[in-house]
Formats: sequence, C-alpha cells, structure tokens
Amino acid sequence: MSGAEAPPSTVGWENLARGAANLGVDDEEDVELRRELLSFRLGESPYAIPVERVREIVRMREITIVPRMPSWVLGVVALRGEVVQVVDLRMRLGLAPCEPSRRSRIIVLHGDDEAVTAILVDAVEAVLRIPEDSVSPASGSELGAVTELCEHGGEFVSLIDVDRVLEFCAGRS
Amino acid sequence: MAARRSKAKSAAKKPAQDSSKSKAYGEFISEAEEILERLRQDLADLADQRTSANEVEPDLVNRIFRSAHSLKGLAGMFGLEGIGDLAHHMEDVLDGLRLGRISMEAPAVDLLDSAVDLFTASLADLDNPELQEQQAGHIAEMIQRIDSAVEPPAERPDELAGLPIDPALLRALTEYEEHRLRENVRRNRHVALVDSTFEIIAFEEGLSELSTAIREVGEVVSTLPSPGDAPESQIRFSLLVATEISTEQLMSRLDLCSANVRELRRASTAAELTPPAAPAPASSSGTESSVQPSAEAPEIPGTTVATPAALDAPVQRPELRSESPDIESLRSISETVRVDIRKLDELMNLVGELVIQRNAIANVASRLMSDSGTARMGAELSKTHKLLDRKLKELQAGVLDVRMVPMRQIFEKLSRVVRRLRRDHEKEVELEFKGADTELDKLIVEQLVDPLMHVVRNAFDHAIESASDRVAAGKPSEATILIQAFQRGNHVVIEVRDDGCGIDPHAVRASAEARGLVDPEDMLSHKETLDLIFSPGLSTREEVNGTSGRGVGMDVVRSNLAALGGMVDVTSSVGEGSAVTLTVPITLAIIQALIVGVGEHRFAIPLNSVLETLLVENSEIQHSEGREILNLRGDALLLVRLADEFDLDAQSDGSKQYVVVLGMGEQRVGLLVDRLQGQQDTVIKPIKGPVRQIPGIAGATELGDQGAVLVVDVSHIVSESSRRREAA
Amino acid sequence: MQRILIVEDSATMRSLLASTLEDLGSSVKITEASSGFEALRCLPREEYDLVVTDINMPDINGLELVSFVRSNEKYSAIPLVIVSTEGSERDREKGLGLGADAYLVKPFDPETLRQVARDLLERPGRGR
Repeated sequence: MSGAEAPPSTVGWENLARGAANLGVDDEEDVELRRELLSFRLGESPYAIPVERVREIVRMREITIVPRMPSWVLGVVALRGEVVQVVDLRMRLGLAPCEPSRRSRIIVLHGDDEAVTAILVDAVEAVLRIPEDSVSPASGSELGAVTELCEHGGEFVSLIDVDRVLEFCAGRS
Repeated sequence: MAARRSKAKSAAKKPAQDSSKSKAYGEFISEAEEILERLRQDLADLADQRTSANEVEPDLVNRIFRSAHSLKGLAGMFGLEGIGDLAHHMEDVLDGLRLGRISMEAPAVDLLDSAVDLFTASLADLDNPELQEQQAGHIAEMIQRIDSAVEPPAERPDELAGLPIDPALLRALTEYEEHRLRENVRRNRHVALVDSTFEIIAFEEGLSELSTAIREVGEVVSTLPSPGDAPESQIRFSLLVATEISTEQLMSRLDLCSANVRELRRASTAAELTPPAAPAPASSSGTESSVQPSAEAPEIPGTTVATPAALDAPVQRPELRSESPDIESLRSISETVRVDIRKLDELMNLVGELVIQRNAIANVASRLMSDSGTARMGAELSKTHKLLDRKLKELQAGVLDVRMVPMRQIFEKLSRVVRRLRRDHEKEVELEFKGADTELDKLIVEQLVDPLMHVVRNAFDHAIESASDRVAAGKPSEATILIQAFQRGNHVVIEVRDDGCGIDPHAVRASAEARGLVDPEDMLSHKETLDLIFSPGLSTREEVNGTSGRGVGMDVVRSNLAALGGMVDVTSSVGEGSAVTLTVPITLAIIQALIVGVGEHRFAIPLNSVLETLLVENSEIQHSEGREILNLRGDALLLVRLADEFDLDAQSDGSKQYVVVLGMGEQRVGLLVDRLQGQQDTVIKPIKGPVRQIPGIAGATELGDQGAVLVVDVSHIVSESSRRREAA
Repeated sequence: MQRILIVEDSATMRSLLASTLEDLGSSVKITEASSGFEALRCLPREEYDLVVTDINMPDINGLELVSFVRSNEKYSAIPLVIVSTEGSERDREKGLGLGADAYLVKPFDPETLRQVARDLLERPGRGR
C-alpha cells in the first residue's frame, strides 16, 4: 500500500495548538475547566482525542505490510529511526474500510517505549478547547472506545478513550 | 477522562527533587550499581578465601566493608530508608568481621550474597512504588535474618598495650586500623614504623613504591602524613607496618626507598611461643608511658635493633597475596571511563543513521552513473561514497568494540550462583569455565544472563546426582559442569556440559504425552524427543524447588534466545550427561542484511545466518513426505517458501527460484524467495505498537530509499521447519 | 573569595557536598579531591578557608588528614569539618580530639552543613 504523492513531512501540530491557544486568553482557573482535544474525521463523522496524547501528526507515507497481523494493523511506518505499527482506526471502531486519500493522516501517540502507536485517520481538523461542562458521557459506543461526547460547531464529536482502544489492541494480540 | 488526563500528565514528570539532586540521583544509581558489582566479585573472593585454610585477606574484608559503607551513605543521602537500613546491617556484619568481632565462620556472612542481590533488586524497583513495597518486606525479613545470625562479640584482650607507638599516630588510627594492628600482634608479627620524606609535588609515586615494597612482605596498617623538615615543599609519611620478616630484613628490602625503619614489636620465635601465648593483661590503652614489655616480645622502643639473623624466623612469604598491581589498578582507573549504556545506544543509533544516509548516497551515485550525461559526476560521487564507506566502517567497528564485554562477567555471576547452590544443596559440583575472554555485545550479555542461569540451575538441580548415587554409578563423587564460550563465525556459542544423569527420553516422552503435547502414536527420533523439553509447561520432574522448576523452563530459555536472534539446542546421553548449547549473534547493533523480494514485498535477512545463496531450477526441487527438499552437495536441504511462511503472493517467473541457505547452530534450512536485492548495513529496530510479538519477524529496519523493511527471525524459521519435519 | 576543599571518595557524595556548599554564595570556590592523597596535593596549591573531609577513604583516612593539617604550621588554622558515616562516639571523639572543628554524620542535613560552614568561614580571628 503506497500512499500519498506529497513527500512525507511532519505537520507541525504545535502550530495547530498555538493557533488554538491564541483564540482566547484564559486565566488559570479557566484552563482547569477546559480540555484540549485534537479533532479528526473518520468518513464524515468527527472524533477527538486528548491533545496531550498526540506526539506528532505525519502525512500518509509508505506502510510496510506485516504478515500475521490482525486486520486492523495496516502495517508499520518508519518515523525518524523508529518503526511503529499503524492501527486503522476505522477498522478498530468497526467502520467500513476506506482507501487512504490525500487528506489522510497518521497520528502518532505517546507511549512508553514499545507502546508508541500510530493511528490512521481520514483527516485531521483542529485543536479544540472544550469547556468541561459541554462534555457528556456516551453510551453504547463501538467496543466502548467512545466514552464521551461533546458538542462543537453544531456537531457531536465522539471522544475516544485512547487507552481503551490500545488496551483492546494489545489484548487481541 | 479527567482522571486519565491528570495521570498522563503526572506520568510525564519524574519524581523531581531539586535539579542538582536529581542529577546526583542518576549518578547515585550508576555509582551504586558499580559498587554492587564490585561487592559481588569481592564476596565471591571472600567465599573462596573462607574455604581455604589461610587467613582471609584483611584488605578484601575492608574493601567489602567500604562498599557496604558507601552504599549506606549514598542510600541515606537520598532518603532511601529501606535499602539504607539493609546496607547498614550489611555494614555492621562486615564491620564486625573486619574488626574481628564476628568470626569468618559466622552464618551472618553467608547472608551477604543474598543481601547484595536484594539490594540490587530493590534498586531496580525504585521507580515502582508497588514493587518497592514488596521489597521493603523482603528487606525487613533479611534484616531480621542478619540480626539473628550475628553472634555476640567475643571478648578479646587488648594486644596494643605495650606497643611503643607515638600517641599522635595512635590517635589518627580508625577503629579498623586499630583492629588490624591488634590482629597482627595477635598473629605474632613484627611491627615497625617506616618513615620516609618526599617532595610534596611528587609524593605519590615514591609512596606507592614504598607501600608496594612493604605489601610484598606484610601489611601497611596505616599511613600517617606529617610535615617534613621543610614543610613548604616536603611531606613525611609514617607507615605503620606489620610483617612476617624481621625489621632488619625489612630494612634491607627497603634499602632503595630511603626509608627509616623503626622496630615497634618483635615477633617471638617459635621457642618463645609457649602454648597459645597467654596474652598480657589488658591495660587501658597504649599510652606512651605504659611501656610494658609483654612476655613474648622483648622491646627496645625507639631504636633500631640489630639482632643476629640466625635468631630470625626463616623468611617466609606471608599468605597475604603479593599483589603489586596497586599501581596497576590506579592506572586502570584513571584510563577507564564509565559510560551509560544508553549513551552508547544513542551513539550506535547515530552511526546507524549515518549508515542509512550512506546507502542513500550510493543510490544517488548509481542513478547518476546510469545516465551518460551525469556518469562522470556519478563516478566521482561513487568514489567519495567508497571513502566515506571505509571511514564509516571504522567508526562502526569502533563503536561496536566499545560495546563488547567479555563473557567473564556472566561467568562470575554464574559461579556465585553455583556457590550458593552448592551450599544449600550439599552436592559436590565443580564449575569449570573456558573462553572467558570471548566477547559479546553488552546488551546481549545482559539478555543472556537469565537463560544461562536457568540452564545451569537446571543442570545443578536435575542433572547432577547426589554424591553417593554418583559413586554407586562408578563416577567421581564430584560432578563437573563445564561452561565454555567460543566464537563461531558471527555467533558466539555457549555450551553448558554436565556429567550428570542425562535426560531420559522415555521420561520426557511420557511427560509430554501426559500433557497432550505429543500424540502417543507419533514416532519421534531421539533428538526430536529431547527437543520436547523446550515445549511450554514440560518438566520431567514433578517437584518444584527454589532454584528451578515452577513450570517455567526451557521454553522460556528458548523464547529468550529467539528474541536475541539466537537459539538453544540440547544433546544428552543417559547416565553420561547432557550439553545445552546456546547460540547468539555477537552483536545486535548493526548487521549486514540480505534484502530479498517476495512478490511486492521486501524482507531483510541477517547475513550472519546466511550460509550461501543459490539459484535453482524448479525441476531441482524434490518432494518428500509433503516437504520440498533440495539436494545440496549430497545432503538433503529442507526448503521453506517465505511466501507460504507469511501468507504472501509469490511472483516468481516460474522456472527459477532463489534459495537462501540459513544456518543456525547445527540446523540448516533453505528459504525460497523470488528475488535477491543486494546487501545492506542495517540497524534492527524493535517494532513498536499494540501487537508485541510477531512470529517470524525479528524487527524492522529502515532502508535509505524507502520506508521500513521487516527483518526475518531466522531462528524462528529454522526451529519451526525442524519441528514440522518431525511432524511429517 | 572563600575556598573550600572537599575530600570524599564517592563521586555522588562529593557532588552532593559540592552542590550543598555552592549554595553558600557566589563568593565560594570549591575544589574537589577524590582521595586523601589528592587532598595532600591540593593543600599547598591554594589557601583554603575550609576543608570538609570524609573519614573512610582508600589511601589515607580522614583522621590522618586532619592530623596532618593540624600538625602543619602552614595549614593548622584551616577550619576542618568531618562528614562521615562513622556515627560511633569513638570516631567522633577521635576526630574532634585531633582538632576537627565539627563532625557531621551522613546522611547530613544540607542546611546544617551550610550553617556549620558559614560559622567556620566567618569565625573571627582565624589566623590568616
């Protein structure tokens, strides 16, 4: 599976975060009450994960297929000296698979040493600062991976519990 | 979610004290580890010396004491009460030992090894509060054991009474040095004061020459500096010395060192030594005035006595080992740098990145050369690339060399374990080592310790019979475990050979059948049967004991070795013994890899496992019992299709195939691939992500041009295929 | 400028002592010696205002160093602090008896050490 035509490069997600931080000056108390989330799309639906779990966002690049892997592991990518498995988040959440497009991004998540993981998403949107009180618990989501919802821009964004997704992955292997 | 978030944040922070302290904390850990390692070696020496008839070297005991003492100080400084307490109790035992309050035979001394192990384990678990709590329990238990094993101090008369020693000197003696002085008097040695004056700018050389000369014949109890006659430029040292040779002989030995020798105590001759010399009644202390010549030592204080040599006891080299390498060791300390292994890893990674870039340059060069317009530039670049290549190889070799450590390190650990086992189990086992200088990558050495330990314990527990059984079987009562390491090509082979009872194939078979690992109908060769001991959960002995057993066994050894890209093999003969062979690559860092293609996929195969490559016609491949076989110079070579192994679509042109002949240990397998795509220097990286173990894949490597390439786990392929051969 | 000589064979302990004493202020200059011998070599090179020494060291012990400093006219006025793990009364008596000005037991409290050092550095009438 070879990917995008553009040369692989890192999208400075710090810039995204900085842009978001400039949206409004908060006092410290306010910071306590807001969550910073990175939002992205799977198909048309918006999802988000906590910003502090994101290590970097890279463009689609060549994914080396690894034999004997569960179907939701697309393969591995080389990232500046590291080789990391890429989880197809669509498949993990039970959505229909879809060929990567130009907008597809690989989000690399922080983890202790071996636990670094990358997830493939259809498009990265923005860093959201969501007031705590606009977050509500979600029920009956796919595999319990979506634990909360929040409203943003007239849509309901599904907040993904990254640990649960990864735990499940690890459990399956 | 909020809770998780805060957890993520707090996890990012290290337990931070102020910054200078946390830097010191890192230093503390590495210093402590260094001390522990030295402590282990010294304790091993101590154990050896305790069993020999001679007096235990006082310097050794003092060194061990100082190690424990340093650990206590360090632990205390960092508020680590548990291990500080442990070190304190170790120190107490050792203090008692060096001051003669505790005898060398005391059971407390036996506990020191375990205490060191416990300290090491606790140190490793410092970051983990849960484990630390567990360790705290172990520590409390250990302290209790030490306490109850310490004997009450024996009463000793004061031998120092009557020695005409300058009170200034006596005052500066530590308690230990006082004890050493007493001990030497008790052992009826000559005591003398050796004075020498040196230029202050260069005193060390002269002083160490003097001390070395003295240590050849005795012990330097204390070294007291004092101002010389010209205090601005000179320094005088007074060495309090105990020797087996007389003061006159000492003087003549020190002739060249321009030292003054003054006799303080003369050893009594054998004739004077009436049965266990009744010690002089203890007077309060050795003050100058109480010159009280004791019965066996006529003293003429403060003067140099010239006695006919005939009176002297024959010159004997005392059992104090004449180790002159004091200078040697000083030198080696100053020329050695302690390096954090992680720094070496970083360096190695950097070299790896360079190697990748160099590969990229080679690609560009060949592209340029293939076009007539740029061929010249390409050729020049190619030349530069070759030069770069050569220098890079030297750099690689240099960095690799730094990582190499001798097997001796493991051997020392093993001999400690066996010593302890011997003590606990009363089996007579002699451990023999060969090839201690064989070098291996530090990382591999670390990974090898546990498996090797397991194999040796297994041999001790299960293979070695009791002394009486051995004698009954016509064997020497003392068993031998021979551990030898040697290099074979790019691998190091470590063989553990015992002359015990051997492995009974029937017992193995029965046990495997009972666990459903083997069908009773299966026909297995002797070797195949023995290989069953590597199956998970198989143990031929039912009882579980403290050192091995407990369900985990040779299967763990095998998987540990596979993780290293190595393998394990066993041979055995009932009644005569067994040999377990561990084969590991010399280094994991940078390896030459053969790049092969299967369909649209590429894989890297470590070249150290590749014996040769062949291009074969399809017609040459024979079939036997559902397996493909190639006749390789008269031997049947079992073939494995990489495409089948990994469920991939192959794409060969149909008539020809490449065979990569893999060799590991004694086993050979031919791997069928579509294409050979050249050799590359590669750095094997672990594959990070949620799926932890991928059977058949040892890791991945980054190639200069594009993306990651998976590295084939040769040991897996080889052992799988041989298992399948059994099944066939 | 106040010069302090630290004599200690453990690298960790030495750097802890140094960082503790560095906090006394910017006018403090610290020299580290990793053994008694090294200390003997350092002494003639600079005029120290304070010596802080361990007892248990491989070449000469701290008591011997104290004895040397006190018996040498040139150095005899330098204040001396022993920082040792040896908690026994006997060693403390010995150290102080030989002329050390203070005897601290490891693990030392940084503030106490600084206080002791400050007092000794500011002690009036030091013979210099």
